[in-house]
Amino acid sequence: MAEEKARVNFNAPKSLVERADCVVEILDISRTRLLIDALEDELEAFANDDEFRRRLSDAYYEGDVDYDTVEAILGREEAMRLKLLRESIDRTPAVPTLTDGLPSDDAFYDGEVSQWTDSESADSDDESRA
Amino acid sequence: MPDCAVAVVDTNVLLNLATPVVDGRSKAPSGEDPLKTLLTGCDVHVPASVLGEVTDATGDDDLLAAAAGLVLQAADHIATHDVDDRADEPINYGLDQGEAEGVWLANELEADLFITDEFSTTNYLFINLVLADRNTLFTTPHILCTFVTHDILPVEYVDTVLSYYVETKGWERQYVAQLRQEYLHD
Repeated sequence: MAEEKARVNFNAPKSLVERADCVVEILDISRTRLLIDALEDELEAFANDDEFRRRLSDAYYEGDVDYDTVEAILGREEAMRLKLLRESIDRTPAVPTLTDGLPSDDAFYDGEVSQWTDSESADSDDESRA
Repeated sequence: MPDCAVAVVDTNVLLNLATPVVDGRSKAPSGEDPLKTLLTGCDVHVPASVLGEVTDATGDDDLLAAAAGLVLQAADHIATHDVDDRADEPINYGLDQGEAEGVWLANELEADLFITDEFSTTNYLFINLVLADRNTLFTTPHILCTFVTHDILPVEYVDTVLSYYVETKGWERQYVAQLRQEYLHD
């Protein structure tokens, strides 16, 4: 069964409409078809844009958009990941115990703990992404 | 360690916890040792492949290699399991060897915690699917927040180290913000 359609009216710069009509004529498609294709391409581009994905997940964590919206834009796997991660925040882990405090570095580590400093360039990021 | 929580951890957790300890740059938080804290506060287990991945990371002269070196210096405090002979290979969903074997080990040991930092990718979804009890699944930032609520690490240090990880590891800012709101700023 074909999906229900919604009618949309909008104003656009005349020159843009004229350019679109030129393309429509060359491709021998309707103006509506061109606009739908363009809109779908734009939405797909957003779904693959890291900054947009970050903003959408922010909105989801803050409760500004619901799961169905995230799923419709990012797909089921990514939406499920966000849902599971958000649900996990309230989870309480088994309690770590430190009855005798922490041992000294000498007692704990095999050898001296040495510090790494970047001698080549100052404080560059992401050199250690694990 | 009869009263300790049993934790199975992924390679990236060990490396991430070791990183601020060996990072001598000014932007790195100092004064605490989250790797030593986890390995002392929990009974930590890994499949042998995890220490293999840590060893593989020691090759270069960079921060990751330094972190890997520190993990190996603490290897006596990590119970290592040979899981090569695991029967009925589970569906791996594209998880790497360390992750897949870690999940298998967590299920086998009925661990209290399975800790991974693969929460920014769909691997997190797959780990949820193959872990027998998803309520045992935690991330490093979540565990660090727990250290604060149990007075094991000071809130100032965890606040700073979370910002350090967001900046240097690309951890999801909003997820970490939610953890902060839930555990650090009440």
